[in-house]
Amino acid sequence: MQKKLAVSFLVILLAFMGLSTRLYAINRDNGEQYKKQVLSQQSYDSVILPAKRGEIVDCNGTKIAVSQKVYNIVIDSKTLNSKNGQYLEPTLKAIFDQHDVNFTVSQTDIRSYISSNPGSQYKIIAKKQPYDAVADLMVMINDHAQYPDIKGVWLEDAYQRTYPYGSLACDVIGFVQGDNEGAYGLEEYYNDVLTGINGREYGYLNDDSNLERTIKPAENGNTLVTSIDVNIQSIIEKHILAFNKEHENEAREGNGSRNTGVIVMNPKTGEILAMASYPVFDLNDPWNTDGLDIQISEEYVMNGIVPDVTEGSGEADSSDEALKEDTGEETAQEENTQEENIQEGISDDGTATEPVLASSQMSYTAPAGTELTENTEGVPTDKPKTYEEAYEDAKLEALNSLWKNFCVNQTYEPGSTMKPFTMAAGLESGKLTGNENFVCGGVKEVGDHKIHCSNRAGHGPLTFSGALEQSCNVAFMDMGTMIGRDTFMKFNRDFNFGLKTNVDLTGEALTNSLVFDINTMTPTDLAISTFGQGFNVTMIQMITGFCSLINGGYYYQPHVVTKILNDDGVVVNNIEPRVLKQTVSRETSDKIIELCNNVVSEGTGRSARPAGYRIGGKTGTAEKYPRKRGNYLVSFIGFAPADDPQVAFYTVIDEPNVPTQAQARYATLLTRDYLTELLPYMHIFMTEELTDEEKAELTEKQISFAVSTAIEEGDSEEEASEDSGVITNENGEEVNISTGEDIITFVDGTNSRDYEKPELQIDKESGYAIDPDTGELLDPVTFAPVDPTASNLE
Amino acid sequence: MSSARGQQGQKRRERSFFDFTLLSVVIFLLCFGLVMLYSVSSYDANLNYNDSSYFLRKQIISTVFGLVVMTVVIFIDYHIWSRFAFAAYVVSAVLIFLVLTPLGYEVNGARRWLNLGMSLQPAEVAKVGVIIFYASLVCKLGKNLMTKAGFAVIIPTAGFMALIILVITENLSSSIIVFGIVFMMLFVASDNYREFILLAAGGILIAAVVVILVQKGILSSDLNFRFARIEAWLNPEAFAADRGFQTLQALYAIGSGEVFGKGLGQSMQKLGYIPEAQNDMIFSIICEELGLFGAAVVMLMFIIMIWRFVIIANNAEDEFGALIVVGVMSHIAIQVILNIAVVTNTIPNTGITLPFISYGGSAVVFLLIEIGLVLSVARSIKLKNS
Repeated sequence: MQKKLAVSFLVILLAFMGLSTRLYAINRDNGEQYKKQVLSQQSYDSVILPAKRGEIVDCNGTKIAVSQKVYNIVIDSKTLNSKNGQYLEPTLKAIFDQHDVNFTVSQTDIRSYISSNPGSQYKIIAKKQPYDAVADLMVMINDHAQYPDIKGVWLEDAYQRTYPYGSLACDVIGFVQGDNEGAYGLEEYYNDVLTGINGREYGYLNDDSNLERTIKPAENGNTLVTSIDVNIQSIIEKHILAFNKEHENEAREGNGSRNTGVIVMNPKTGEILAMASYPVFDLNDPWNTDGLDIQISEEYVMNGIVPDVTEGSGEADSSDEALKEDTGEETAQEENTQEENIQEGISDDGTATEPVLASSQMSYTAPAGTELTENTEGVPTDKPKTYEEAYEDAKLEALNSLWKNFCVNQTYEPGSTMKPFTMAAGLESGKLTGNENFVCGGVKEVGDHKIHCSNRAGHGPLTFSGALEQSCNVAFMDMGTMIGRDTFMKFNRDFNFGLKTNVDLTGEALTNSLVFDINTMTPTDLAISTFGQGFNVTMIQMITGFCSLINGGYYYQPHVVTKILNDDGVVVNNIEPRVLKQTVSRETSDKIIELCNNVVSEGTGRSARPAGYRIGGKTGTAEKYPRKRGNYLVSFIGFAPADDPQVAFYTVIDEPNVPTQAQARYATLLTRDYLTELLPYMHIFMTEELTDEEKAELTEKQISFAVSTAIEEGDSEEEASEDSGVITNENGEEVNISTGEDIITFVDGTNSRDYEKPELQIDKESGYAIDPDTGELLDPVTFAPVDPTASNLE
Repeated sequence: MSSARGQQGQKRRERSFFDFTLLSVVIFLLCFGLVMLYSVSSYDANLNYNDSSYFLRKQIISTVFGLVVMTVVIFIDYHIWSRFAFAAYVVSAVLIFLVLTPLGYEVNGARRWLNLGMSLQPAEVAKVGVIIFYASLVCKLGKNLMTKAGFAVIIPTAGFMALIILVITENLSSSIIVFGIVFMMLFVASDNYREFILLAAGGILIAAVVVILVQKGILSSDLNFRFARIEAWLNPEAFAADRGFQTLQALYAIGSGEVFGKGLGQSMQKLGYIPEAQNDMIFSIICEELGLFGAAVVMLMFIIMIWRFVIIANNAEDEFGALIVVGVMSHIAIQVILNIAVVTNTIPNTGITLPFISYGGSAVVFLLIEIGLVLSVARSIKLKNS
């Protein structure tokens, strides 16, 4: 037995030695390879921790754009197939039991994916699901004790951009596409500010070749505080929509206008309170093409590849005929407008020769589909497009024009709303005194062209103020001659025509090639420029320039964003109102206010006055290029209240869908509609007596009104300002503003009278004086406004 | 008086013999096992149970319980067990059959456990039962051991026990161990070699034939999952994604450990790459963290333990005691060898744990009972040259 035990022990010992050899052999033969293998199968792969995109809020803190945390459901086929598929059925059941989840892949597809890709460890089966939809699944994934068989599925964090107000201020805000990339509006302009920095979780090998995993947390984006007021924006959009619904399909198929744009601005700061245009789109679904008129390009249709079965091609096909009908109608229409004596603009021979105009009009009409008919005929394309490609192109084009911000991206001829600028240039330069008298015979011959007034019969004798009240083109052409080309163009440059305003919105149109060149400008060009024809502007240029005319001459940079806050709500950048230059003097400004008040009280702008208020403004009716098609852009630019402008507004209706477009009434009535609600909301008190009719109207609209005793005072004040207005003209010649590089500095001492405030408070921090009206900082010596935040801005 | 006192003292000295070497080795392995278990299982435990000491805690409880039972067994005269030899066999068999009743339950797809207030693996009971039963049986058979009558008793009983473990609990490894224990006990007890060499050669031949048939594809993996394991053993890289995964990952762990390893707790393979590393594959993590040195120390400990068994068996008071020790030695030796052989892919994968170190409550309790039996036998050794 002892022998046997010894034998057994020996056998066991031999086995141990054999195994030791085996261990040694593994290390010797495969040690290096296995070491690498071990390192290579560690997960160094980094996981992106998405940063939360900053919010956009209005001036009251109401959220207009927010980012919500959402979850992607990811499956891991490798784990699901492991352990003989032990986890597969319980996990899939758990996933499919989530009935609120909107899967991107069908159940059968998920199953076939798992069986056909057993090695896959990352497949998204549902994207951007809200917390509520995945809450149960999240519990099951995390609770291993209770759900041991739920494996191979996990939730990946993501953020979803949502816009609580849907289409409200869509053009201003813009949207987010793809991977957190802003498109249009503030989302694009401030993309870098909003985006934040994605975090990362990643693994690396330390000095001892051990894997360490590190988390670098995400830095969330900054929040934009805008000057937009959601309530004002809603009021404006409500009335724009009402107008467009009212005139829908009236004279032609489609919306109540090709475009309707309104900007409401604080003239004392350049802050944009509302900016709206029509048509609108839903920011939460910007790619929705419902209700879009997708027109496939002509060349494609003419190649005859498409049977005209689709909506797009059908319409395009018939456009040749439609064009003929249109021209026929327009001749008749033109006669109508002449009869009504409200047509503005110039005769056909006056405009046809303008090269600048032609080029500008090209750029304007290019985006709109049907006008291209004539040009594209017979131009063959290199490759014939398939129908799908052509349709896709057309769809993108339609969407792009929908997403564009009409108020900033579109250029057009301003028409008569230019007239206050012309007068301001004349008064400020001293070329006009304000005491001139004009006689309108209905037509004026400039160069070789006969240019008609809006009233072909003529306005007869007109005072300076009467010229604006009646919007007389002949009188303004006379003024143009008095002002002279050089002075006129110098002031146009001061008013920023041809330049960008650098408003903080994406894609502001550059108009430098769409204005007259001073070296090639003819007397005819000057004549039509005085009433806003022949050169192009953007809405934001007009309202910003106009604000400088009514606020004492300060040209503020228009802006939407007033503050940038970080994720913790701390202000990282305070964007103060920023004066860029002085366009006109206080006297000229006061005079322009008075003249504009007269337009509403006596002249063409009467219908813009809301019940209970006095406002000032100027109408515009610009015939669009090509002329004689009866296509007009009607507008109204103004301010309220009349004596102390608190708010400036600009309404533009591009091709109102009415038989006779050339009526500024459409713009003034729309303006009146929104002002009726807007002014009470802004706590601007009524000063005028209400007629019974007006009281009834206000009651119907549920706007509270109280006729105060202040009415009398208001009237007397108005009288006083009218008197002082006359005096201004005498100072006009002495005004000396250096408009070159050093724009803000006043040289002339005589003007400082206007800026001498008897008791100025001194800002303790900066040492500057504080303007009691606007709260802005003034240089204590020159009283020129200074901008302490200038260095923070680009 | 003096002689009486001397006799008394001698008696006391005889009585007080205790194999502290064996006990030290056992306690060392138990402590080392707990440390390694914590190192290996904490990641998995934290992931699945949110408690990194989940497995450690359960194992400590079993170990303490086992040590208590062991202590009791040490101080019971081992001769008593011969009276219960047949009962031990019957109880073992009954417990295995109980797995089929609702008392049995499944873990990881294998129905091997009984729930008797505490969980129990009947195969572990059977190993102790078989050791006592055959130690007693061989003593009773005496000279008749190698006769036809002896075979007629031994072969059916051993075959029956191995068969029910294989069929009912589907536990090939325990079946092999039970068979191996009986084989070794008979080998040591008898004076013959021929029969045993023939039997061993026959077993190896059958295994070789099966392997060749699998290799040629005649016995395909569709017939039995064990053939699939043989396929994976022959070529683990080809089945790296599924059947060969565990084996291959264990080899990576061993190969990446070098001489002194990555250091305690520094294993990468335990981080989800080796499934259930705390069970069968714990030795691969020992190799990865402590290197060949660590592996050698562990193996040395087992060799010392087996050496002590040989010493105790040689000096045992009677054949019954010696055979018990041989049985325990066979059990532990077979299990250690097979475990390391599996981990190093020397033989196909069968689920065999490493004694005292792998996670498993029943296993550690019954191993400690066996150690208790051995120490009890050791206590009865008469020291001659006092």
